[in-house]
Formats: sequence, C-alpha cells, structure tokens
Amino acid sequence: MDRKYELVYLVSPDASDEQVADVHTQVDDIVQRLGGRLEKTDNWGRRRLAYEIGRHKEATYVLEAISGSGELLKEIDRRLKVSDLVIRHLIVRVDEDQDVIERTQTKRGNASSRRRTARGLPPERQPGEGQRGEQDDDRDDRFEMTENRR
Amino acid sequence: MNGRKTFGGGGASGGRGRAGQTQGKDGQQRRPMFRRRKVCKFCVDKIDDINYKDARLLMPFVPERAKILPRRISGTCALHQRKLRVAIMRARVLALIPYTAE
Repeated sequence: MDRKYELVYLVSPDASDEQVADVHTQVDDIVQRLGGRLEKTDNWGRRRLAYEIGRHKEATYVLEAISGSGELLKEIDRRLKVSDLVIRHLIVRVDEDQDVIERTQTKRGNASSRRRTARGLPPERQPGEGQRGEQDDDRDDRFEMTENRR
Repeated sequence: MNGRKTFGGGGASGGRGRAGQTQGKDGQQRRPMFRRRKVCKFCVDKIDDINYKDARLLMPFVPERAKILPRRISGTCALHQRKLRVAIMRARVLALIPYTAE
C-alpha cells in the first residue's frame, strides 16, 4: 500500500529558475524509478525566511505531494541532503492525518444534520442563516489572553 | 511577521480587553473579576487541519519571543495544542516561523 507524503524543499536564492526546475525533475525521476506517483507540485515562489539559513535570507519554496513507499521517500531524502542547491527540506506523511480530519468533518456534519432534523429544520444550513459578526469576535479572545497575563 | 505585531498591540481588543487590565493585584479579592472563559480557538472555529504550511494561522501562538504560547494562556484544548505544537515545530524547520526572536 502506497502512503501519501508531502515534501517541501527550499532552493537557494542563487539558483536560476532552470535549476529549480532541475531539482523538480530530479525528484520526479526518483519517484518514477521507484514506482511512486507525483500527485501535485506547487511552487510557492521566493519567500523571506524567518531566520537565516547559512547566509541566505530568502529561498524558493516548492511543495510536492507524493504517494509511494517509504523506500522511495528515503531515497529522495538522501538525494536532497546531498544536494547543494536545496538548503532545507521536510518530508511529512499525511495520509493518516487526512483520514482523521475527514472523519471528524463527517462526524461533525452528521451530528449537525441530526440536531437540525430533530429541531424540524432542513439538514443543511441555509444561506443567510445564523448569527452575524462572528468574524469580529474570534480574534478578540487571543488579545485578551495576553493582557490577563500581564 | 504581521500576525505577531497585531498580537502585541493588545489595544485592538477594545472595551473587553481593558476590563482585564483594571484588575490589580488586590482587585481579585475585593470584587469577583469577570474573567472571560477561555475557549479553544480551533474548537470554536472548527479548524480541523492545523497545517504547518499555514503560517498565518500559527503566528498568533508564537508571540514576541517566538516561544509557543502555553495552553493556560491561549485556552487551546489539549488535543489542539498537541497538533499545534507539531505544526509549529514543522513550520520552524521550513523557516516559516522563527525559533527565536533575533
């Protein structure tokens, strides 16, 4: 059974666009070779780093969603570690977390529709229903916390 | 960065925020303080996915010194604090969030 992973890597800001694309093809090659599938790639572009890595203050972020075996990801990890262009990378397994999220969402949906039918309402929330001004409120909570502390 | 700034400027909370400040050291004994019950942001907003890629979501939980805001202050429930912690640690690896304030 294939597992789903997310790979994010940071390419050095000195690298040209071709070099960034090159790293991507390298990853793709390994994925193809070891029988995985590249589900999605997303180039976030150049971002400022929260702290300096080496002497770099910014980097190009690339996200790849990969499904494949652990061996495959191990190989990718090894290759990225060796690469000079990639200054940082992170591989995260996501399938289990996604399952949990889906389950809680369906559970919440079911619970809400059950409550709604019990109250004699249509199971789905209708447009224009519910309180307004929710957005203003939620942020306030956090501000208040720090003030209480001082 | 932005998220951290708004966090420091507590004045944005308006009237209710000020009520918290009037409570002095002895204010607690004289009259019962109205402390608003803290609620878990993620439970209230029904955010299931605390994702490490979403720095905007995480920033309010790493105030000025970039330390993780403890549960007793943020009011986050145990389950979500745990997920939050993992997300923050991952975001730090990717330099989306600082480890320390420089």
